[in-house]
Amino acid sequence: MAGALAGLRVLDLADQKGALAGKLLADLGADVVLVEPPGGGSPLRTIPPFWQGLPHPERSLFFWFYNTSKRGITLDVARPAGAALLRRLAADADVLIESEPPGRLATLGCGPEALRAANPRLVVASITPFGQRGPYCNWRASDTVAEAMGGMLFVNGHQAGPPLRAFGLQAYHQAGIFAAVGVLGALFARERTGRGQDVDVSLQAAVAGALEHVPGLWHQAGTVAARQGTLHWTRFFRVGRCRDGWVMHCTVGDWTSLVEWVKADGMAADLGDPPWEDVRHRATGAEHLFDVLDAWAARYTVDELVEGAQLRRIPYAAVRPPEGLLRDPHLAERGFFVPIGHPELGATVPYPGPPFHLTGAPWQISRRPPLLGEHDDEVYGRIGVTAAELATLREQAVV
Amino acid sequence: MRPLDGVRVLDFTWVVAGPVATRILADLGADVIKVERRGAADFGDRRGGLSGTLTRGKRSVVLDLNRPRGLDLARRLAAVSDVVIDNFSARVMSNLGLDYEELCRLRPDVICVRMTGFGLTGPYRDHVSYGPTLQALAGYTLLMAEPGEPPAGFGYSYSDLAGGNLGALAVLAALWHRRRTGRGQLVDLAQLEAVASLVGPTLLARALDGGVSTPTGNASQEEPGAPHGVYRCAGDDRWLAITVFSDEDWARFAHAIGDPEWTTRFVTRAARLEHAAELDRLVAAWSRTQVAEEAMALLQTAGVAAGVVANAEDLCARDPQLAARGHFVEVPTPEGRTVRIDGPPFLLSDTPARVGGPGPLLGEHTDEVLGELLGCGEEELRALREEGVIG
Repeated sequence: MAGALAGLRVLDLADQKGALAGKLLADLGADVVLVEPPGGGSPLRTIPPFWQGLPHPERSLFFWFYNTSKRGITLDVARPAGAALLRRLAADADVLIESEPPGRLATLGCGPEALRAANPRLVVASITPFGQRGPYCNWRASDTVAEAMGGMLFVNGHQAGPPLRAFGLQAYHQAGIFAAVGVLGALFARERTGRGQDVDVSLQAAVAGALEHVPGLWHQAGTVAARQGTLHWTRFFRVGRCRDGWVMHCTVGDWTSLVEWVKADGMAADLGDPPWEDVRHRATGAEHLFDVLDAWAARYTVDELVEGAQLRRIPYAAVRPPEGLLRDPHLAERGFFVPIGHPELGATVPYPGPPFHLTGAPWQISRRPPLLGEHDDEVYGRIGVTAAELATLREQAVV
Repeated sequence: MRPLDGVRVLDFTWVVAGPVATRILADLGADVIKVERRGAADFGDRRGGLSGTLTRGKRSVVLDLNRPRGLDLARRLAAVSDVVIDNFSARVMSNLGLDYEELCRLRPDVICVRMTGFGLTGPYRDHVSYGPTLQALAGYTLLMAEPGEPPAGFGYSYSDLAGGNLGALAVLAALWHRRRTGRGQLVDLAQLEAVASLVGPTLLARALDGGVSTPTGNASQEEPGAPHGVYRCAGDDRWLAITVFSDEDWARFAHAIGDPEWTTRFVTRAARLEHAAELDRLVAAWSRTQVAEEAMALLQTAGVAAGVVANAEDLCARDPQLAARGHFVEVPTPEGRTVRIDGPPFLLSDTPARVGGPGPLLGEHTDEVLGELLGCGEEELRALREEGVIG
């Protein structure tokens, strides 16, 4: 069965800031061609971790994660012959994704206007730290700097300690999601207008679009949300300690069942008192409430506690390392990890799977990440570059 | 014109993850009809702020789904909707007779999106969850900590935003597929899987090396580099994020802070990484004397990635870049107030996504929607309201 986006042609010039956008589209069935500089290739190829710990451009797990289902070509867009080739490629594409500093592609003759002169239907998505315009548009950002300026960091961490960045590159990931969303929005608009348009994604704004309480409480009450350790801002969740590890408590599930259970264990203290039946009282008194629950939880293993809670329909969960996902029987039955062969290395790699199941047009890793320049011949051949021309371009190191 | 003009979404979602998905569809121009029950909870002011940011541009209809006539109205609305979406536990929509098979009878090309915690299949499909429990299961809570310290995790339900934003992408992909093939489909979005799909390369590493992940504080998770982290500045709870990767970054950083003598010991990346802890202390001793905003401008002017760790006020009231993008918008309400709401984080140059209006009051559009889409007349609406079927 073809993917939902089968037939869409995408050129992906993005670095790590925007690499997820192309992956999302590619795994949904679009034909995404990763465009890498000749020589070392994509900067992602230099980023650890590496397969068996050996640094090599074809062994970066970082590169692998973000480049499933993409084909790959090499092209030096900084050279005039390379820029000319990019214009030819873009003439045949639906979408181009890039993450250069604002205006850089235009100085190379490959800005959105130049590309749309040849292909008015082209959608150009740009993923930059702060967007294409505005006072900070030429400033730089890493994932952590973008998380900081987008408001994600300040509320993570213990009260007395420093703010903590997210696990995983969540500024880049949110930017990738919003770029994919924006691209599809632009494609729907194109159905009516016949024209492509620009999608301007800012890492900072993408982070701001992945917040919960921080802006809302400021808007409505002028409240500056603070760090409060593992106590959730709603005050209904806090991490507790079991005999063998950490657990996430929850006091908005079935409260009656939870209290009956703790009472039966003789550990309920005052939690059986009527005021605690009011969810607002449970929020106000969260510190005391969780202290009582912590003392109770310490009698159990994590598995015992979570199993008992879920039987009572109380939303408890293990606080576990990410590799817990690899051993999770539920994800195994749903086929979340997808084995993909890397025959060059004699390896089969279990890739984390679909963010969602489109049951009528499945998400699929259609190929392992591309080797450097793997699809030069077929991609350039398709736009009419002859073998002789390609040989010349290779000599000139344009390809 | 907006991209999803003409697309109708029947929205049974509640709390956060589901409304996040449908707010993006509303920004893109879809007619999102939010089906609510009488007495539905909210976060205060329904027009703006937290609730309004979740429900911006949607229409609110109050139906009692526990009454046959309320359910019948929901089914008739489903028959004229392109997308039907919920984020209940798996069995709720089936118990209501609103699962995919039933919806297909009403509308064969429907796109039915089920945003459950664990998905519609698998041994834990009936487990209950919230954002904090799902991000704990996916490893975020344990791994967000200082090395050797107890977990801290996100201060909020990032999982809801991950699932919601990916949910919007799922709907768009399914709509695109339908436009191309004429076929609808069932979308089974397990929020655990959505947030797990964003863990990143660490999962590949653990699958291949069988190792154990441990927290690394604010160290880089991309290119190795130091200094990399969050450094305390002058004032109360003021912090600056600084990232130095390359030797060129370092030279610019050292020069920007006045080339103090100690910087000469760290000219190579290897030296900086080896002595990262000592370097952190030295950088922190410098930053402690700096005003965060000024230090950010100083470093950025020199070409170094640095940014204030923005609190809510920095973000919403002081940041000139988000202001220039129009990220936060002032929206007039029918009552003559103005409320502040977050806008869509991506800009489209020709047919922009935008906040279509404030959050709706509970049931504000019941009569309008039932009249417009189902042809219910005033008499009928009055009777339904008297019976408590609508609100």
